[in-house]
Amino acid sequence: MNGMKKNSMIKRESIFLLMFISLFVFSESLFAQQHQISGKVTTANGLPIPGAVVKVKGKAGGTGTSNEGAYVINAQAGDILQVSSIGFVSKEITVGQSSTINISLAEENQGLNEVVVVGYGVQQKKLVTGATVQVKGETLQKQSTTNALQGLQGQSPGVQISSTSGQPGENIKVTIRGLGTIGNASPLYVVDGVLTGDITYLNSSDIESIDVLKDAASAAIYGSQAANGVVLVTTRQGKRGQARQITFDAYAGIQNVAKKVALLNASQYAAIMSEAAVNGGKQPLFTNDQIKAFGEGTNWMNQMFVNNALTQNYALGASGASETSVYSLGLSYTGQEGIVGGKDLSNYQRYSFKINSEHNFYKDIIKIGQHLTYTDIKNNGISVGNQYNNSLRGAFSASPFLKMYDENGNFFDNSKSTWNNAEANPYAAMVYNSQNRSNSQRLLGDIYMVIEPIKNLKFRTSLGMDYSAGESRSYTPIYTLSVYTYNLVNKASQSMNKGKSLIWDNLLSYKFTLNNDHTFEAMVGSSAYRADGSNIFGTNTNLIYDSFDYAWLSNATGKTVAGITIGGGPNDPDRRLSYFGRLNYNYKEKYLLNATFRADGSSRFGPANRWGYFPSVSAGWVATNESFMQGQKDWLDFLKVRASWGQVGSQNIAAFQYLAPIKLNNTNYIFGPDEGVLTPGGYQSRISNPAVKWETSEQANIGFDANFLQGQFSLNFDWYNKTTKDWLIAAPILATAGADAPFINGGKVKNKGIELALTYRNKLGDFNYSVGVNGAYNKNKVEDIPTTDGIIHGGENELFNNALEFYRAQTGFPIGYFWGLKTAGIFQNEAEVQNYRSASGKVIQPTAAPGDVKYADINGDGVIDNLDRGMIGNPNPNYTFGITLSGDYKGFDFSIVASGVAGNDLVQSYRNPSSQFGNYTTRILDRWHGEGTSNTIPRVTEDNRNWSNFSDLYIQKGDFLRISNVTVGYDLGKVFKKSYLKQVRLYAAALNVYTFTKYDGMDPEIGYGTQGFASGIDLGYYPRPRTFMIGANLKF
Amino acid sequence: MKAIKIYVAALGLLSLGACKKDFLDTKQVTAVTDQNFYKTPKDAFTALVGCYDGLQVVWSEGIALPVAAEVMSDNTFGATGNSDGFGYQMIDEFDKSRSPSDQNLYNRNWVLYYRALFRCNTLLGKLDQIEWGSDIQLRKTYESEARFLRAYLLFDMVRLWGNIPLLTAPSTDNLPQSNPDEVYKVIAGDLKFAAENLPQVAYPAQAVANHGRVTRYAAESLIGRVFLYYTGYYAKADLVGLVSKTEALAYLEDVVAKGGYGLIENFANLWPAASLTSYAGEDNKETIFAIKYTYTSDYQGNTDGNHWMVMMGMREQAIYPYGNGWGAETVNPKLWNVYLPTDTRRVGSIISIADENLPFTNQKGQREYTGYYVKKYSPMIGKDGKPLPEAYGNTSFQIGQFQDYVSIRYADVLLMAAELGSGNAQSYFDAVRQRAYKTAFTPLAVSQDNIIKERRLEFAFEGIRYYDLLRQGIDKAAQEIAETTTVLNGGVSAEKKISAANIIATKGLQQIPYTQITLSSGTLKQNAGW
Repeated sequence: MNGMKKNSMIKRESIFLLMFISLFVFSESLFAQQHQISGKVTTANGLPIPGAVVKVKGKAGGTGTSNEGAYVINAQAGDILQVSSIGFVSKEITVGQSSTINISLAEENQGLNEVVVVGYGVQQKKLVTGATVQVKGETLQKQSTTNALQGLQGQSPGVQISSTSGQPGENIKVTIRGLGTIGNASPLYVVDGVLTGDITYLNSSDIESIDVLKDAASAAIYGSQAANGVVLVTTRQGKRGQARQITFDAYAGIQNVAKKVALLNASQYAAIMSEAAVNGGKQPLFTNDQIKAFGEGTNWMNQMFVNNALTQNYALGASGASETSVYSLGLSYTGQEGIVGGKDLSNYQRYSFKINSEHNFYKDIIKIGQHLTYTDIKNNGISVGNQYNNSLRGAFSASPFLKMYDENGNFFDNSKSTWNNAEANPYAAMVYNSQNRSNSQRLLGDIYMVIEPIKNLKFRTSLGMDYSAGESRSYTPIYTLSVYTYNLVNKASQSMNKGKSLIWDNLLSYKFTLNNDHTFEAMVGSSAYRADGSNIFGTNTNLIYDSFDYAWLSNATGKTVAGITIGGGPNDPDRRLSYFGRLNYNYKEKYLLNATFRADGSSRFGPANRWGYFPSVSAGWVATNESFMQGQKDWLDFLKVRASWGQVGSQNIAAFQYLAPIKLNNTNYIFGPDEGVLTPGGYQSRISNPAVKWETSEQANIGFDANFLQGQFSLNFDWYNKTTKDWLIAAPILATAGADAPFINGGKVKNKGIELALTYRNKLGDFNYSVGVNGAYNKNKVEDIPTTDGIIHGGENELFNNALEFYRAQTGFPIGYFWGLKTAGIFQNEAEVQNYRSASGKVIQPTAAPGDVKYADINGDGVIDNLDRGMIGNPNPNYTFGITLSGDYKGFDFSIVASGVAGNDLVQSYRNPSSQFGNYTTRILDRWHGEGTSNTIPRVTEDNRNWSNFSDLYIQKGDFLRISNVTVGYDLGKVFKKSYLKQVRLYAAALNVYTFTKYDGMDPEIGYGTQGFASGIDLGYYPRPRTFMIGANLKF
Repeated sequence: MKAIKIYVAALGLLSLGACKKDFLDTKQVTAVTDQNFYKTPKDAFTALVGCYDGLQVVWSEGIALPVAAEVMSDNTFGATGNSDGFGYQMIDEFDKSRSPSDQNLYNRNWVLYYRALFRCNTLLGKLDQIEWGSDIQLRKTYESEARFLRAYLLFDMVRLWGNIPLLTAPSTDNLPQSNPDEVYKVIAGDLKFAAENLPQVAYPAQAVANHGRVTRYAAESLIGRVFLYYTGYYAKADLVGLVSKTEALAYLEDVVAKGGYGLIENFANLWPAASLTSYAGEDNKETIFAIKYTYTSDYQGNTDGNHWMVMMGMREQAIYPYGNGWGAETVNPKLWNVYLPTDTRRVGSIISIADENLPFTNQKGQREYTGYYVKKYSPMIGKDGKPLPEAYGNTSFQIGQFQDYVSIRYADVLLMAAELGSGNAQSYFDAVRQRAYKTAFTPLAVSQDNIIKERRLEFAFEGIRYYDLLRQGIDKAAQEIAETTTVLNGGVSAEKKISAANIIATKGLQQIPYTQITLSSGTLKQNAGW
């Protein structure tokens, strides 16, 4: 029972083996007397192996074993039956006279014959010389995440996955081996050979495997796209010889916020406001009795979140094979409601349909196949962006005095209030400003043909397409919530876009063996890529009907210029032409060598710099294949040492950066008497740089893979040194240059690190279990910034109103480090203020009062200014790690996945220091309010003087360990004992179960950064929900 | 078999190289490039409008010069909101320690000035490659306008920062600051060129649709202003050897004689908030040069509005007809008091909360409250309580304001000519005063001292007073501005102190943005006192 489940789950991988096997099938079939052979395929200890492939050697087609391991096949005496199943050593048996042949397969050392996906092909894992990691679709599916990438969390050392927001459907930030650039650091995604930038459209149930190419040698075959690593996604395909199978997977669960931030209630808030007034020399605002009487007030956190938001997923799959064809279909629906505001404001729905098939012609000389996934995504959401576009942020500072509803049950209009009429009901503001719906469709797939006229000489051509179309619409009603938060004229916006990329790949490969010892595999190929698209958008006012349903531009009657925005244009065209080649060599699978080379031409660069060249070489030594190691076989099954070096590139800049554009839009002046009548102008908006070229990432990798004790224990280790140089950056230039900075090549960052993965699996009687631990250490250091001051400055006005720069990329520091003042405690009394002097006797903070924060005068000049600012935090974690535990016992199974990071810092800013009335988190209750009361949190003041400078008061440790998934399941298949039911697994799972962290925000996993290379900035972060769900996996 | 092998290999190779050579050539269709622009007179005009646009946006972020100049002068205090940073106090008191980490207050302005300058320099550098055809005057006109705009920008910059890198052609080099004389040579040369090459078209003959464009008279008037400031502040006899006092006066007299300009009858009608329906309108006969704004600014990249007017609005409270704003530039009561009650310019220029019986209650949100706000550039609301820009569909009172900045008024030309010793000095002087006092007019003898005093009353909040003070010498200016008084911070009485020593230490100049100094790796030097 137990083995059955396991095998049915892993047999999908056999497609690749089958494909290889089928290559051998090339001889003429003989017409001869056939009869039926039947039997059972079992493990060494008699358990049936379902889904094992049984075929007659030299013949096309084959069959798969049933749930009970039974098979029936036509063969004749003298034929050789080939029996294989993933996880077992394949066997060949000569057919005799008996019509019953029972076969037992020995379990194979785990993993060695597994096939992993590499660029433009597959390779046996044992022969891989680069640093790659594979995660199976089943593993991803088990995580029950809406976004498949999130399922990678904790499973793939060296690959940091972090949410940019907990809102359903928002992006996931994937950083492979540390941030290598201040530009776009996302990896390249390749789905069944089609290059794309985003895979959120995929349902985990459609994924066969995800392979991450981490080192440059592995990724170099993708040349110009690969500087940030490559994520290869293989969607599910039917398997040759496999029995038909229908699967149905479903889960449904409820989501709640795992942890809310505690804010001051009305009494506490009144007390703090009053104290701030007193600290400013005023009379207290309230008496003690008044303060008490305020009570709880409005708890805005409770208003913003909904309880029991639904998440659900249903996936129907069918796969199978005939003599000449294999196919796999999938139909799925995923729905996830947001926990902030509920599904009306924050919701994600995805419908997808997949069909993959492959057909063989002329005795497998020609194979034609296709992959195709169509996805329709409907979503709507609240704002999760910067401080001005973040719906949740308002709830942190709205005072508890503010009411949710007025006496008529409408949202409370605070504009006439006597207490801070500038603040608006944050929930109402979210409702009014989140009236939007987006709908996008995506069609991604390819059609391919493989011609193999003679054994191992293959020509493959494929035409892939990534087509997307989207539309979105929003509506802003008329409302008044405060003196500043109002909208006096209703408004509708509409936008549409579409884009299409085509990729035409041609590969020629040949594999041959000389003297039975030297195996060569050579491949050359070319790829042509083109992407085009366009968009159109418009906004207008004065709608005929005041409702979202009618908020279409045709219903907007506004005639004023200022109320109308329209635009539209083509996406910049993108063209790429590539030639590449690879040579694999091994000597008796003992000495391994791999070399690749790629040349890429890109339309994004000027004619003189279009071509980039990306070489790589890697080598491996399988020590356990040496004769002198044979004596160690009892404890060391496998040991491979690998080393690699390669160069990969990035072309992540917009098109036409090598030209100097004349900006014509938004450049107007008004001559004459008529307001709003503009005369268009133009100017050169950017300095040109015709010399701009590829960004290059160079990486060396040394590692080893080892298996011990008959596969019980496995160990993978990698060390890498990655240098990304010639960044494509618009480096800040002097203002005197007078125009936008050109993209230049310059800047260099080094990421050095190690990765370790350990797996232990064993069994105690019927109890099988495995423990996996993986971790990665990365050190990120900028080595050069090509500006006179060696700094790329972060933006201003990003952390709060009028906030100064607070993060930077600077030579000698990690990318995006937090730049601010160091504090040195709190002034406890006037004497401390007076005694805090520079070496020359100057009082350093003459205007400070007791309770104010004391800043470290780093340069000792007696003044606190920018020269005293330095690195006070690092958003890049030094360590990322994951833990997986799983086990099964007679139909029961369980798994636990945990992941986390360590060594990073977070910046938290919930409150705007330019407003004296904002609410606080309860942390303020520990403030200084008299000598000795606090040395960490300053006194409260109306002018918020202690918070208007960015200092380490804003910084917290970002370390966390999250138990992200706990699943318990039971397979009822054995209970039902129906031959058509292969699996009836029911399970219960909990996601985001518990997070160990010292961070006091709602969620420490903050991939959000205000822009570009910034990260770890909590401006009111939409937290990831805690989910409890039940689900079922059925196989027929 | 071998044939098949060759066939496949050939097919493979063929398809590998099947792409056309020009596959990688693409064309941008949403923007033109400098390779196909700057060819026709139409291109030149488009680029010229780009220069005007450049000037229009220099104060859209950072701190507007008309605001800074009033805060630095003895007319107003820095003020702003009671919980705001102390940047405006730092400007007002010339005291870096008021807000030591506020080292970038003017960075955006510095950037935007140089961007506008770049647009002018680029166009001027491309004039030779434009096919002008037979219209000889056209090139002269465009060149004059571009050079006027360049001079205008440089004059602002050199007054504000004193020591600036000078560019007369685009350059990405790390340039050191120039001697101010070099800057003034460019300013004077540009203005003279414009004054001599622009056509003589008097105000009444100018096409209404062209109002706002630089005229010969704008150039001549600006020469007067530059002459007076340069010779005063730097204590020189003439304008860098290019314009003598006689010549400066001659330019101004030409404006008076041939410009066709005149004074608007009622002073209040120059200012929307002071006159409401009787407002004389923009581009009226008194306007010699204005930076024009309109209501089409948005947050999608259109910047056409007066983004700095919101600073002067009463702090977060609107009382018809005055709109709300951020409460900067609270008016120094001293200024209110120097006006005679019979002077129509007092209520024409200043909002007095008490005298107008305005129910202003937001003292708690206002820093350096004095009871007086700026009226000339106050944002306005309609009777329905909506900010004025909303009548035009612009919902942002912050960036939708559209009142033009009237940079040079005819009254200024009259007073400058009088100051430079015009034979008609007394009548010019009287004309300005008669308009102000109406029936209460009593004659006053024209003198340098009286002209300066009159200029303060006439041009309050127009960004002129501070430079009138500086051109009397830094010591004199410091003495006039220095003050110790009492204001209300958040409703609580507080001492306000501006020390003469700070003004002298900084020579009245402002801080060079820290970012620019670090970007230049120290090639740019900070001004003394900062």
